Amino acid sequence: MTIGTFDPYAPSAPTSRFLYGLNPLSKFAGPAPAMLALLFVRDLATPLAFLALSYVLLLVGARITGRLAAMLLLVIPAGVVLIGFGFAVWVDPMQVDHTVAVLRVGGWVLYTGALEVGFATALRLSAILALALVGGLTTTGADLVRAGVQQLRLPYRIGYTALAAFRFVPRFGHELEMIRSAHRVRGHHGGHGPFSRLARGWGYVVPLLAGAIRHAERVALAMDARAFGAHPTRTERYRMPFRARDIVFIVLFWAASIALLWYWFPWQLGGSPRP
Amino acid sequence: MTSPDSADAPLAGGPPALEPLLRLRGAAIRHEDAAAATPSDVSFEVRPGEVVLVLGPSGSGKSTLALSLNGLIPHALPAHVTGTIAVAGMPASETSVAVLSTHVAMVFQDPDAQLFTGSVMDEVAFGPENLRMPVEEVLARSEAALRRVGLWDRRAENPDRLSGGGRQRLAIACALAMGSPLLVLDEPTANLDPAGTEEVYVALADVVADGDRAIVLIEHNLDAAIGVVDRVVVLDQAGRLAFDGPAHEVLRRNADVLLAMGVWLPTATLAALRLRDVGYPLDPLPLTPAELREALPAVLEGVRRLRTSAPDQANFAASVLMPRTSPDPEAAAPASAALSSAPLISVSRLTVARHRRPVLHDIHLDIAAGSFVAVIGANGAGKTTLVQAIAGVVPPPRGRVRVADLDPGRASPRELSARVGFVFQNPEHQFIAHTVFDELAHGMRLRHAPEAEVQERVRGMLDRFGLADKADAHPFLLSGGQKRRLSVGTALIAGAPILVLDEPTFGQDRARADELLGLLQTLNAEGTTVLIVTHDMQLVAEYATHTVLLADGRVRASGTTADVFADHALIEAAGLRPPPLGAALRGLPGLDGVIRLSQLPPAVTP
Repeated sequence: MTIGTFDPYAPSAPTSRFLYGLNPLSKFAGPAPAMLALLFVRDLATPLAFLALSYVLLLVGARITGRLAAMLLLVIPAGVVLIGFGFAVWVDPMQVDHTVAVLRVGGWVLYTGALEVGFATALRLSAILALALVGGLTTTGADLVRAGVQQLRLPYRIGYTALAAFRFVPRFGHELEMIRSAHRVRGHHGGHGPFSRLARGWGYVVPLLAGAIRHAERVALAMDARAFGAHPTRTERYRMPFRARDIVFIVLFWAASIALLWYWFPWQLGGSPRP
Repeated sequence: MTSPDSADAPLAGGPPALEPLLRLRGAAIRHEDAAAATPSDVSFEVRPGEVVLVLGPSGSGKSTLALSLNGLIPHALPAHVTGTIAVAGMPASETSVAVLSTHVAMVFQDPDAQLFTGSVMDEVAFGPENLRMPVEEVLARSEAALRRVGLWDRRAENPDRLSGGGRQRLAIACALAMGSPLLVLDEPTANLDPAGTEEVYVALADVVADGDRAIVLIEHNLDAAIGVVDRVVVLDQAGRLAFDGPAHEVLRRNADVLLAMGVWLPTATLAALRLRDVGYPLDPLPLTPAELREALPAVLEGVRRLRTSAPDQANFAASVLMPRTSPDPEAAAPASAALSSAPLISVSRLTVARHRRPVLHDIHLDIAAGSFVAVIGANGAGKTTLVQAIAGVVPPPRGRVRVADLDPGRASPRELSARVGFVFQNPEHQFIAHTVFDELAHGMRLRHAPEAEVQERVRGMLDRFGLADKADAHPFLLSGGQKRRLSVGTALIAGAPILVLDEPTFGQDRARADELLGLLQTLNAEGTTVLIVTHDMQLVAEYATHTVLLADGRVRASGTTADVFADHALIEAAGLRPPPLGAALRGLPGLDGVIRLSQLPPAVTP
């Protein structure tokens, strides 16, 4: 089961790499403005610069695991290539037919302009993803919830309930597997094609929901029985301090973001289009 | 405070007559949609150090009673509560669940539904944290609780990595960490295998050993529980208090009444009742296999001296082991097995891997037509994988399994469902249609059977399984027992000669399990080959003609149930326990090898 492999509680091994020593919130607050700005960027250089920044941060600040290496060296580059070419083919050729043609297949032409648009989009998406990974790969779900409760005054009833809900995921994955094989045994196939697949999927919803509601009810009773939600606060055994280094990290990140955006200034306010 | 005698006693120097931890006076609970209150008019007290077992037939309100003891009823689940339920002098229906949680802690049936965090340590700390205790206190309590159940060394692990028994022990530790003097456990071992059940009771025995905590226990597996229980409270069908007293007294004096009420009794007691009916005076009635074993030789000796007609050992054994009436499985099976020359199901060199991890290794197995086969083994032994491969639920590698004239590795689900009916653990999983009638008709309509025939067969099936008045109901709205019967009906309607059931009694109460097994036995007597996965060893002993013992994905033993259970060392090595009756009678002259109640002398004396 692939869903079961994600463990929101998995403890991070002790390490001196600096990203683990930061408050989870600062690891998201730092990159957030840059991620937002990247949504409105259209060039190639700016996302590339942010991509490089997050790669440097992850390589220096995070423990290099097989998963991280695969993400940085395989998944993201492959994603850029795939999405880049995909979008390049998809772009309306009328908009870019003033640029140089690189490829002709019959009557269809691929222009450099289309490639540029495609790769700008791909880089933009992967830069946003890489920035999210700075916090995402170095924070456990439990720590994020704790920081939210301690610094953001997130009601703990919401935070810890959401965390408990993660336990449902592998359970429902397993249950869905059971329902599917049960329905297959009954000969409930109904044919191929997207519509019958949709109809089949709908048939799984009722038993899955019935099981989910019953399970959620039991979990809720068990939580109540252990005084969950009894008081407005609860003991926090793990402190998630927000220290000077968190402020330094955020300020530096914001400064770097502004500097990069300033240097490449990708918005061409009233200026002439770049060659 | 509801009565003058409930003033809070100071902690130090408690008087001899201690304030009861729990006091019920005429307690009645009616659910909002129910016509009558169950339980109704229940009064009893629980004092420190007591272990009270609550017994009662299905529907007598045992679980409802448990949920009301810490205020979940009526605070979390609305219901009308009348009478008094006082916890340490506080009325439960007027005190918040949070306050009551420090007096009454709960352990529920499903281990998965009571785990919320990512490590064993965090799990135990969860309750004390909610009570806003200082960190040092939280840690101290958690450590004490985890040491008590033997999980301290595994405190850093994810609870998912514990076995079923381990997770239930963790739930007990969580209850202990709340600091409550009263623990309420609602069917804590219903989802566990025999080794897990034993683990839980060892932990509970240790918890009560100090005598400062009391336990209220709801449990259907009396063979496991009887060792720790001091007192028994029995509710009758209407939820009224029927008996309350020391365990041995209530069970021994009222065994016949309890049996008639539908309350499950220890296997040793059932065996003794049966022997007593035919003139072996077992008094007092034994409650454990050891007691039965101790009482038997003298009784048998006495009877042998009295009986002039059966003086010698051989004749005595023959009279004891006389087969019962017609549908005796042991007698019927070899006959039908002999009729068919080739096995109905044949497995050879079957190896199955799940998620690249081998689950079954080189399985060889033949199953004769008309047999009632139990597949047993500890959790993770590969039982479900084996029966799923046989039934084609997960298609096995080609050429390894043969079911009648089909290879489940190649056959389409439609072809296969005419040969094998598969009943899943949770009947809801396999419901497809919106009415009970359509549910039963589904298989035949897929085969384009004429509508008149569909109508006739479905009506017949509805009548047979007592669902005729539910034909238009939605399958999800049936009761638990009805759902189970419907799922068996849908598996059989295509005329499949083989019925495979994956843990059909898992998490069910005894009455429902008995109902189902009775149904299976009837079907088997009519010629259906039954293949069943279960953890209940006495059930296997009672019903199965043949048994397949799996351990670590290999067949450790397969043969007649009596033969497989004769090797106790093998059973224990596979992480199981021999059925209680067999364990009690082992080695006794004339009774060695007897494992099922029906092998004891018939109820009518000649």
